[in-house]
Amino acid sequence: MSKIDRLNVLLIDDEPERVKALEEALHALGHHVVCQLTNTSDLNEHVEKNHPDIVIIDMDSPNRDTLESMSTMSRNNPRPIVFFAEKQNDRKTMSAAINAGVSAYISDGLQPDRVRAIMDTAIAHFDAHSALRDELEKTRNQLADRKTIEKAKGMLMKHQGCDEQMAYQTLRKLAMDRGQKMPDVARNVIEVLELTNSSNK
Amino acid sequence: MSDTLTLEKTDLKLGFVALLDCAPLVVAREKGFFTKEGLNVILSKESSWSTIRDKVSFGLFDGAQMLAPMPLAATLGLNGNKTPMLTALALSQNGTAITLSQEIYLALSEKVSDWEDSDEVGHQFRELIRSLSRKPAIATVYPYSNHHYQLRYWLEQHNIDTASDIQLVAVPPTKMLTNLSSGLIDGYCVGEPWNSLALINQIGGLLTTGHKIWGDHMEKVLGVTQEWADHHPNTHKALIKALYAACQWAENPANKDELLQLLSLPPYLDLTAIQLGKFKPPYSMEQHFAGENVNQPDPEHGMFILEQMKNCGQLNDEALDFTKLATDVFRTDLYHAAKAS
Repeated sequence: MSKIDRLNVLLIDDEPERVKALEEALHALGHHVVCQLTNTSDLNEHVEKNHPDIVIIDMDSPNRDTLESMSTMSRNNPRPIVFFAEKQNDRKTMSAAINAGVSAYISDGLQPDRVRAIMDTAIAHFDAHSALRDELEKTRNQLADRKTIEKAKGMLMKHQGCDEQMAYQTLRKLAMDRGQKMPDVARNVIEVLELTNSSNK
Repeated sequence: MSDTLTLEKTDLKLGFVALLDCAPLVVAREKGFFTKEGLNVILSKESSWSTIRDKVSFGLFDGAQMLAPMPLAATLGLNGNKTPMLTALALSQNGTAITLSQEIYLALSEKVSDWEDSDEVGHQFRELIRSLSRKPAIATVYPYSNHHYQLRYWLEQHNIDTASDIQLVAVPPTKMLTNLSSGLIDGYCVGEPWNSLALINQIGGLLTTGHKIWGDHMEKVLGVTQEWADHHPNTHKALIKALYAACQWAENPANKDELLQLLSLPPYLDLTAIQLGKFKPPYSMEQHFAGENVNQPDPEHGMFILEQMKNCGQLNDEALDFTKLATDVFRTDLYHAAKAS
């Protein structure tokens, strides 16, 4: 692949296995992953310093709003990044991306069709990852932690009337908000919901 | 449940962001107002307004708690796929504020003699930041929001330039407190509970409130796509009725303690909600869920938002018909029809 076609990609995702797999796949396509961020406290600086052509971001990341703000605020930035959908009327790709839980921002002026293959790769990896996730959870967590997470999921499903995937997402979002590990969040959820259930009796 | 109506859909999914004004959705679910209207609603906690917009646009959600400017921004296709959206119910009024870091707040307190005098506060703030050796960074969360427009409005009102005097940055709400206490930012304009929490934890002081800047204004709304509203008129009515009843419940002072208990449940606001129980800020943020003109989605406010969008350079189309746009998006007719049903 010629140098002109090589795009600089910034990845924002806190799931290490997914980041690694996607980074390898993008390298194989000939692109350059400038940086992958799990800690995003200096996101603004990273974007200004690295000038990514495209930012791939987990849909559950609170930094999506930060990226969208940057595109309207940083007037002095010569090439602001814009939401992929803004330059693209491809509802099918967008819909697949949202369902897979991934979104993308591209450098203003970049031809959207140059990004399509990257988007497709990201979507495929996010899709594949949700299938793999349960297995990863099992290998990553100790048995006791796994049981705690399962119990918290069950209690959330009952209280919120939601399915297992959404209960898992809820725990994950709480963990991200609080900067805690999943088992700790799960223990707290169990505690609070048990208290609520007993006071309602 | 209104027996004359046949609901087109009863299992719904609504998105929310964990802010104090997600209260009507939480109350409607936990206190059975949705069930009473024949609706089975799942609430999905989202980490960003961008994701709320996308999931509503692409039909993953039936509707969501939205910032009042969002249905307009989506209809115009600002920063996203162009999807006509509307609101037929305002969920809350006011509830934003500008908080400064303890350092800047204390320095300003030495100069301000009357905090009720907006001109004096603005003048002293301007003098103070111009005397600093660096440009202070003030954070907001999302570009199509009252908090963003209010910050710009207040700065402009006091001749503070958003480029040369300060640095506007964006930070997710959950990071505001830590960034303020660590000095990464010098202030922020956001919705509750993030101002009260800074005051309670003594890491910031209140500069002014959104209510002081604009007077009463619509803050959060129930946003749905135009297409969804067209295909589910009766379900939409039932949803509005359930949330309207929840707004009344949430506004009742007698329910305050229970409301905070409900909000502290996972996955809503988390245990931080409990801290708000006994706290009284120096100035009320005048946050309301019900009351005269609180829930009616007035197109006049839509026009006001469009003016703000224009003032900060978000609208490029000179030929936009503000009146038509505001009446297409802010649907008092649907609000009244739902209340009458």
